[in-house]
Amino acid sequence: MTSFTITLANQGGATFDVDRRKPLLQSLREQGVDLPYGCKYGGCITCAAKMISGNVDQKAQRALNNRQINNGYIILCVARPLSDCTLEVGVESHDKLYRNPFLDPLAAHELKADIATPLEDKK
Amino acid sequence: MTNHCCGPGYASPAEAMTAPREKLLYTIAIYTGTGIQKPDYLCTIDVDPQSSTYSQVISRLQMPGIGDELHHSGWNACSSCHGDASMERKYLIVPGVRSSNLHIVDCGTDPRNPTLFKVIDGAEIKARTNLSAPHTVHCLGSDIIVSMLGDAQGNAPGGYLQLSKEFEIVGRWENSMGSIKFGYDFWYQPRHNVMVSSEWAAPNTFMPGFDLEEVGHLKYGREIHLWDFEKKEPKQTFYLGEDGLIPLEVRFHHNPDSSHGFVGAALSANIIHWWKDAAGDWQWEKIVDVGNEPYPEWPIPIPGVISVILLSMDDRYLYLCNWLHGDIRQYDISDPHNAKLTGQVWMGGLLGRAPEVNGVKVTGGPQMIQLSLDGKRLYVTTSLFSTWDNQFYPEIRTNGGCMLMVNCDTENGGMEIDPLFVVDFGKEPNGPSRCHETRYPGGDCTSDIWV
Repeated sequence: MTSFTITLANQGGATFDVDRRKPLLQSLREQGVDLPYGCKYGGCITCAAKMISGNVDQKAQRALNNRQINNGYIILCVARPLSDCTLEVGVESHDKLYRNPFLDPLAAHELKADIATPLEDKK
Repeated sequence: MTNHCCGPGYASPAEAMTAPREKLLYTIAIYTGTGIQKPDYLCTIDVDPQSSTYSQVISRLQMPGIGDELHHSGWNACSSCHGDASMERKYLIVPGVRSSNLHIVDCGTDPRNPTLFKVIDGAEIKARTNLSAPHTVHCLGSDIIVSMLGDAQGNAPGGYLQLSKEFEIVGRWENSMGSIKFGYDFWYQPRHNVMVSSEWAAPNTFMPGFDLEEVGHLKYGREIHLWDFEKKEPKQTFYLGEDGLIPLEVRFHHNPDSSHGFVGAALSANIIHWWKDAAGDWQWEKIVDVGNEPYPEWPIPIPGVISVILLSMDDRYLYLCNWLHGDIRQYDISDPHNAKLTGQVWMGGLLGRAPEVNGVKVTGGPQMIQLSLDGKRLYVTTSLFSTWDNQFYPEIRTNGGCMLMVNCDTENGGMEIDPLFVVDFGKEPNGPSRCHETRYPGGDCTSDIWV
């Protein structure tokens, strides 16, 4: 299979067939979906979307901390689909993306992957 | 004093202070990160009190694409080119931090309606120089250099992009970055053969937003660097430590003979002063310390976050903004070792001291500032950076930013918000946008350097 189906839950459930080898931002924009973006190399978070279901390969992203990843966020400019996916896109999906760090600090395991402390098994 | 040269700018800071009053401002406004799928743009704002469109945006120049995040800007020429009759202060270089595109805007042909002259594509900059995330632009008497905060993948420390005066990519300006970990702002003082640079973070760190915990993991800067300007390499580093967390805007005295300069440490909310002592050694000290403010329900007290500092053209006053607290302060630095607080005004901020000013709800806090050449009018905008705005002031998405003007008493010190001036970017034609850095057509207090 060379393509997967992407459903945009907050755009009326519109569906798009996308090439599994291409970043989702590129595939969706080529099919006329108007999406925000900035750096186009996975570093700036502007294109973040929330994945409701499915799997992606987003090894190239550098923008998300582990809390954001646990909340389902993916970086469309570098994420490639590994299955059919249902997404919420645009800033309407960013309700859990931004956080006041003085009000709501991150735990050590919620930092970005390169500095996060692994969550220890509770006995 | 009369202007005997026909190059741009002024013979001296004193001459700049006698220039005609500014009538137009150029201020960038963004839609990146706001949910509005429109390009960022450059606003022309009427600041002539005699005009019927005073305190209004009179033209808007859209960039060609979305997602640039316009931020800072710089002139193609300044007073460093004053002796060169072939130069003209005509083009504003307006970088996109996220896209790395450099927009060259012609402000000279019709100052009330700037037009796009050229775009240097971010992809070409990355391919030819392995640099991204442009920030500060200074002209060097002919060529132009731009601090670039990352490599092509958004990793620190980046470097400096050199452009010719025809806006062609020359390449990397610096011969070495030495052991510098991060880039941000810079200013040079040629009579001392010195440039000073400061540190934000890698683009991959600061662009997605501010994780406070990353400061402790040394992902944000705490050093400033003195460069051998002619050799184009760093020669000395000041480790500022806890006193200097996230040192941002760098300002030398405008007086070209002075070695004194200042940097605002954003997170420590301190002003750091440096100078060359009688023995010829560079020294530094902390001269202002803004205390953190407790917030009842929050586990961590709020720092001021000094997002900008600026010196008046006569080097007498230093202005700073506490973006999270919501105040602008004026300090008399006639003795640069002893800053004396002489004025303070409030607008927006998290402490709730001035939620509404001149009938407009201020969302955000005082952020970028630009001072008139005579030192009497300070123009203030409220947005810092789209992702950071979204974290600290999420209502800015619907309210937009705003611009206010502060009248400054240059004789006795003191500041007052002008009751008649406000530009509400919440009412822009394409929806609420956010305003950041401002420049004046005739040069301003953060653009001109004397060689």
